[in-house]
Amino acid sequence: MAFIKKSTDAASTGADRVAERDFAGLIAQLDDADPATRRWAARDLLVFPAATAALVARLKREDDRSVREFILTSLTRLGDEIAVAGLVEWLRSEDAVMRNEAIEAMKALPDEVAPIMGGLLSDPDPDVRIMAVNVLESLRHPHVEDWLIDVIDNDSVINVCGTAVDLLGEVGSPAARASLLRLRERFPAEPYIRFATDLALKRIGEA
Amino acid sequence: MRKITISDDDFLKFQEFFYRKTGIQFETSKRYFVDKRLVERIEATENDSFRGYFTMLRFQSSGNELQALVNLMTINETYFFREEYQFHCLVNSILPDLVARKKDKSPIRIWVIPSSSGEEAYSIAMCLVERWPDINDWDVEIISSDIDTKILNQARAGVYSERSVKHVPRNYLQKYFRETPAGFQLNDDLRSAVEFTRVNLMEAADVRSYRNFDVIFCRNLLIYFDDISRKQAAETFYDALHPGGFICLGHSESMSRISSLYKIRKFPEAIVYQKPGDRK
Ligand SMILES: C[S@@+](CC[C@H](N)C(=O)[O-])C[C@H]1O[C@@H](n2cnc3c(N)ncnc32)[C@H](O)[C@@H]1O
Repeated sequence: MAFIKKSTDAASTGADRVAERDFAGLIAQLDDADPATRRWAARDLLVFPAATAALVARLKREDDRSVREFILTSLTRLGDEIAVAGLVEWLRSEDAVMRNEAIEAMKALPDEVAPIMGGLLSDPDPDVRIMAVNVLESLRHPHVEDWLIDVIDNDSVINVCGTAVDLLGEVGSPAARASLLRLRERFPAEPYIRFATDLALKRIGEA
Repeated sequence: MRKITISDDDFLKFQEFFYRKTGIQFETSKRYFVDKRLVERIEATENDSFRGYFTMLRFQSSGNELQALVNLMTINETYFFREEYQFHCLVNSILPDLVARKKDKSPIRIWVIPSSSGEEAYSIAMCLVERWPDINDWDVEIISSDIDTKILNQARAGVYSERSVKHVPRNYLQKYFRETPAGFQLNDDLRSAVEFTRVNLMEAADVRSYRNFDVIFCRNLLIYFDDISRKQAAETFYDALHPGGFICLGHSESMSRISSLYKIRKFPEAIVYQKPGDRK
């Protein structure tokens, strides 16, 4: 047999993980050349509520995916207004991967995201509105259905309404019925909307 | 003595605190389980209410009471050769893939977390000796970690119930165990093959020194975590692994839903996850 035992301390030469774990030291390490050091700084900053601004700032410059994941997780854990604002900015990114990262992070923050949901759903950019509906998909919050009803009653862009209808089919209750019927009348020439609203109505009816 | 009760408010407070400390989230449906154990600790520490006990729990600098509570609250259910197909995957696919790339002949390091009473780590050791032809050419280091100190002591002692060894092949049972009045005792050779350590996976300070692993087994722990804690666990493993290293999760757990840091590797025996970037 060739089983060996070493103490885990000996196995790790983790000097860089032990040094300067105070606030200022960790903030400085966010700019370190080594991604592993940056990842650990992002993670350890979790216990400092004041770190959100620095994390958001780093996120914007960060080009390593793995480091970005760590930063987003810490931001999600810290979850204050600055963090949420940082995530919203991320949502506007041109890069689909980054947008998905933001959506994932926001889903975990129902209470923090709720107050800004109205704003996101009436954002001038229809893509942001669609992504906001995507966030609603797994945001465990009691207002989800109301927001969706509001979207299909008021949004003028068909793709935004379509995304909301799909989701209403899953989470909707009889309360959504009247709005679904209205939507179908609003876009009479759109087979997709007809199909999606019918499906949603059927699902709601069965529930 | 006055009967101690846990109010809804107390439960919420405790739930939040325990979650932050361990990543484990007790749903309201677990209320009975949680209340019973809380009352047990409140009485054992001679507190007369939740309030006093909770203060002690939070501010005790030794952390002993939190550890005692963790030992009570954790679900340690496990047995030898649980989800055995992954051990086949380890010896038939993962290790051959690893050693083909591992030019420096440094030891193969395997981390089992959560360990519980040690069955998983010992099963791995047995499979390596019995089924991996290259075992004589390589040094292997197996570290098995858990948050629960009591269960770790059991693991070190290596005495198991009939139920726990039920899936051990007959010939292995004869070869590696001895029947004692206390149960089936694992032989010294195998017991010395595994190092047991106390680690809270959610505590950055605990996991920081765990690195340079080739394979991590993390089975049947993440199911007790919520999404964000799972993600954090996946990130911890990322830095604990060598580039090209592997993670094996329990059959009901999927990394794709947790984090995008890993590549999916489909081997004939199982799907496992790999940290990108081959090691030279
Ligand atoms: C059901 S057992 C799984 C044992 C084994 N891996 C298996 O699959 O059979 C779960 C174990 O997770 C441990 N655990 C719970 N929270 C933990 C944490 N935050 N860090 C490390 N271990 C934890 C518990 O003490 C328990 O022993």
